[in-house]
Amino acid sequence: MFDLRFPNRRDFLRVGGLAPLGLGLPTLLAAESQAGQNLSGPAKSVILVFLGGGLSHHDSFDLKPDAIEEIRGKYRPIDTNVAGVRIGELLPMMSQTMDKVCLVRSGAHNNDHHETATNWVMSGRFGSAFGDWPAMGAIVAHESGFPGTLPPYVAIPRNPSFTWELGKSAFLGGRYESFKAGDPNDVNYRVRDVARAEPLPEVRVQRRRTLLQSVDGLARRVENNDQLAAYSQFQQRAAEMVLSGEARDAFAIEAEADQLRDRYGRTTFGQSCLLARRLVERGVTFVTVNFAGWDHHAKIWPGLESKLPDFDRGFSALVTDMHQRGLLDQTLVVAMGEFGRTPKINKDVGRDHWAPAASMLFTGAGVKTGKVIGATDRDGAEVIDSPVRPADVAFTILSSLGIDPRKQLVTPDGRPVEILDEGERIEELYV
Amino acid sequence: MLRLTDRSHAAAMIHPFGERQEKTYQKLNPSPSPLPLRKEKRGRRRIPSLPPLALFTFSLALCICLSLWGVTSAAETQVPSFQDDIVPVLTRFGCNSGGCHGKLSGQNGFRLSLRGFAPQQDFESIALEGRGRRISPAVPLRSLLLQKAIGTASHRGGVRFDADSPASRLLVDWIRGGMPGPVANEPALMRLTITSIPDRSVLKPGESVSLKVTASYDDDTQRDVTWLTNFATGDSTVLQVTEAGLATAVRAGETVIRASFREEIAVATFTVPFDSQPDPALYVARHNAIDGPVFDKLQALRIEPSADCDDATFLRRASLDAIGVLPTADEVRAFLADDRQDKRMHLINSLLDRPEFVDYWTHWLADLLQNRKERDHDVRGTKGVRGFHVWLRRQVAAGRSWKEIASTLLSATGSTTENPAVGYFIVTVGEQEAEKSEVADSVAQAFLGTRIGCARCHNHPLEKYTQDDYYHFVGFFSRVALQRKKPEEGPTELLVATRHLLNLRKELDNQMAKLSELEHPASDATPPDTSQLENVRKRIEDLKRQIESVENSPVEVRQPRTGEVLPPRPLDRSDVALASGTDPRETLIDWMIDPSNEHFSGAMVNRLWKHFLGVGLVEPVDDLRATNPPSNLELWKVLNDAFVASDFDMKHVMRLIMNSRTYQLAIDTNDSNALDHRFYSHFQPRRLPAEVLLDAICCATGQPESFAGYPKGLRAVQVPDPFTDSYFLTMFGRAPRTTACTCERENDVTLPQLLHLQNSDELTAKVKSPDGRLAALLKRYPNDDRLIEEIYLATLSRFPSTSERDAVRAMFDDGDRDQTAADLFWALLNTSEFTFNH
Repeated sequence: MFDLRFPNRRDFLRVGGLAPLGLGLPTLLAAESQAGQNLSGPAKSVILVFLGGGLSHHDSFDLKPDAIEEIRGKYRPIDTNVAGVRIGELLPMMSQTMDKVCLVRSGAHNNDHHETATNWVMSGRFGSAFGDWPAMGAIVAHESGFPGTLPPYVAIPRNPSFTWELGKSAFLGGRYESFKAGDPNDVNYRVRDVARAEPLPEVRVQRRRTLLQSVDGLARRVENNDQLAAYSQFQQRAAEMVLSGEARDAFAIEAEADQLRDRYGRTTFGQSCLLARRLVERGVTFVTVNFAGWDHHAKIWPGLESKLPDFDRGFSALVTDMHQRGLLDQTLVVAMGEFGRTPKINKDVGRDHWAPAASMLFTGAGVKTGKVIGATDRDGAEVIDSPVRPADVAFTILSSLGIDPRKQLVTPDGRPVEILDEGERIEELYV
Repeated sequence: MLRLTDRSHAAAMIHPFGERQEKTYQKLNPSPSPLPLRKEKRGRRRIPSLPPLALFTFSLALCICLSLWGVTSAAETQVPSFQDDIVPVLTRFGCNSGGCHGKLSGQNGFRLSLRGFAPQQDFESIALEGRGRRISPAVPLRSLLLQKAIGTASHRGGVRFDADSPASRLLVDWIRGGMPGPVANEPALMRLTITSIPDRSVLKPGESVSLKVTASYDDDTQRDVTWLTNFATGDSTVLQVTEAGLATAVRAGETVIRASFREEIAVATFTVPFDSQPDPALYVARHNAIDGPVFDKLQALRIEPSADCDDATFLRRASLDAIGVLPTADEVRAFLADDRQDKRMHLINSLLDRPEFVDYWTHWLADLLQNRKERDHDVRGTKGVRGFHVWLRRQVAAGRSWKEIASTLLSATGSTTENPAVGYFIVTVGEQEAEKSEVADSVAQAFLGTRIGCARCHNHPLEKYTQDDYYHFVGFFSRVALQRKKPEEGPTELLVATRHLLNLRKELDNQMAKLSELEHPASDATPPDTSQLENVRKRIEDLKRQIESVENSPVEVRQPRTGEVLPPRPLDRSDVALASGTDPRETLIDWMIDPSNEHFSGAMVNRLWKHFLGVGLVEPVDDLRATNPPSNLELWKVLNDAFVASDFDMKHVMRLIMNSRTYQLAIDTNDSNALDHRFYSHFQPRRLPAEVLLDAICCATGQPESFAGYPKGLRAVQVPDPFTDSYFLTMFGRAPRTTACTCERENDVTLPQLLHLQNSDELTAKVKSPDGRLAALLKRYPNDDRLIEEIYLATLSRFPSTSERDAVRAMFDDGDRDQTAADLFWALLNTSEFTFNH
């Protein structure tokens, strides 16, 4: 087909004057909430816990007690509440949660560069280190639209980054970038721009409402300008978010019981998991919890001993809490990093980047739990069973939300591209 | 018998960019033959020797085919041509499109070149790959190729055509005919011509015309290729077109239909005037040369222009567009009090002479010329980015023309410290060899308004640029070599050489050093081994020979797909002579800045027009091509002529635009122009660019922004480095300058932006600050009316209307003065009247 036949969606959202179809923004927004209703997969939302830097699978979920010492490392495997499944001793709480997750030991690809690999696993498409492809969350925002008062894609505390920001919306444009929630473990946690900048008595709230509605006459003088229409529409929605308090409530982590907050752990990661649960409960479609710092090239033991307990507490609490509230029926939860780490411990007592093998966790939205998929060889170096590629993970996540991973998007320069050009659903998760 | 009528607008559609353009486009789009077409002559194809029975069957099939093509005589038998029949079928029915088998990885194991740009490769995929498994010569309809297309085998792409369709029969005939591959000496396709039946280019809503597309070949034959043509409309709200080429007017407006067959594209323009009867007096007033074409076009389309904008609006509009600065309350008062008839002209002149003009247009050019740090392994640091910024600033301050800036920049050599303009190549060439880098793409897009990047991998889908054209063009940069150094090791240098040459020279230096060491050994060392000495001398001689040979070798680039070695050649395929030993970029610059090269003048004029009017004459603004004509060709000519006549003086064009009646129309739409976005019947309100908006907020609140590493008070448009930390600028979409594409600057209006404006700590602090504007106004103006007036002037740069003042004063009467004033200030900053230019 001749490419120009497809409306260029991104241009279309830009200056109203350019909208090649001349549709006003209200039409678009309507189409978007329509699209939101069309997302009809088993999952209504997704929480992606991203362990940036690359978690050592040898020391967490794929221990190799029979390997030589410089491979097997320091930690002993412990039994879990799933017969025959053993994980690292630094994960005692997860060991009692393994019945509620599915462990995948066969994540595999071939790029060991942080930025390139992160963009790959977050988008499902291989590209440059600078992010040629939209991250899954941005795709989801693009496909779901902005149905409620909350943004569809939220990153807690922010997007992953080593030097530059990763997991961005790429060619889809700024509209679909993640909303950054900040660190919910801060004592005075407030969401930037959502939490009220100054306390306002009701009389001022009312006055501002009245003023906002009465002083801006521009939109009434101009018909058919998308930018102005978007401005009016978002102005109202923002005012609702700020003035009504509904959105603030979603981020009000202090409303959670102290006991529960303690169970998640009073750490950035723990509270991020808790906030993620609050957000999906209130209708956010895609939440990434970014927990970086797993790049243990040196002194890996103290490194893991300071980080794994946070993960153990926070992730087990998230799974358990979501399970108890019945939220796992309609939420897919995934935990992964951009790659695993080298089997052999290096001279600095660290492990380096290793793309051919990594462990991941899945649960919710129909995923069969209490089982293990895939396996690595004796040294944890290569996947020997059921390899799962980045595109397979993305395919599984997107299709679980009811998004066709083969759907075509159009880049700003008019190229039609599929969301994913390869990959398939990880069927073993569901049988 | 085919009949085509020559019509005047048929010529216009082939030459959409007008007369001066012809020189540039001539080779790409030769004029259509004015002669009426003769009967299609199709005897040019060779018939392969076939067994008699096959030949008989084939002839029979051919008769059917030919009769479908409207050819009455089928006396001459032939096998369909791979390039001229089979590939077009694959293109017409979408098989080789970018979403299907045409994408780089193919689809389901079957890979075709995108829209058939590589016929030999396609032939191999179809006929030879997998030991011919896609073709069943004995029973052609059982060929996988056909079964998939006609739906007798499962196909994710669905049924493309029926078993008894012309497309299917064509493929069958080709298979029966022995499946000839691409033939080198086939008559070449020269051009396409679109005609419409009935012969009309002005339609009423609901009216339809049938389009007919004729291909002309270099052996003077012609062929009706309508059924193999892909049609597309420029604006489906104005004109729709079916696959078969039936074009139907939907509503008033003007747009083009593009017809593509093989590598040719033709364009036909259709006008659908409004039904109204506007007063002719509306079109009479004209300020300068711009207004003629604009108001003529509006009158022809019967679109009513909006009224002129008022003085306060004009002051604000002109200040924001020309210098990126909000006018102060005093400036508003002074301008409104000025009673000279030509005060707008005086204002424009004074704006163009303000120092802020230099800041703003330096920033504007720095976006276009991608001034930023490299994303990885940066060699210049912020210092280098500042250096280039200062260099650009000097050019703007000195009033240098676009031609001068472009020539100096593109021929830059030396080190980044001696010549900061080298920074352009550091960013666009980076760590790659120049000919493998993005430099050609960036130069074409920034200076020629042409997107040739797609031709790196496949022929341009919407223009005649082929992969060969791309690599010919790349050749001009094949002598750009960067001697990259880490910042601590000294400045990086641009040398006119190849990397290979630099390596040879380096090796020669090493060997020379070695030689001198051997020839002058330290006194206590053992005497040199003569054979070693001899070896080094030989190596030196050899290196010198190699260097000489490389230095004298012709400038060429290898086309990676075909392996062919190509000399530099401009995009219009004109012949240029490269003097040996010179920098090929000089030749490129000569071609580029030639006054007849409308790509160079047009790219800048179109960007300027878009800057001031909100919508380019060509959109996207950096996508000039014959198949994407300007929305007002006469205006295009006026602007280009003015730019060329002023010797590429950007300020001259700005002055012309700003003084026009067109630029001074109000935003208010009326019934007849609400849908118009391309003909400039009213001003297009648009959100302020990130930097200008932030500066406007600082100006209104009297609270400057602080950028890390820069003195307080530096305005956002003055910040050289786009990576300077700023939550606001990122959120409002400043350009990261990663590519030359204007699409990088995000003009989206997003929810987080509105949240930020309404509720950010930063903005709240600026409004509430005790040394801010509001605090000062509260102190200075005890009278509420006066206070309200001053708040309006500080934010919206205008006086409140009586009704606005009364409504607001009522709030003051009811509430706390300070708080009410703060709420008003907050509300006004949040209006689109503040955040937009209008």
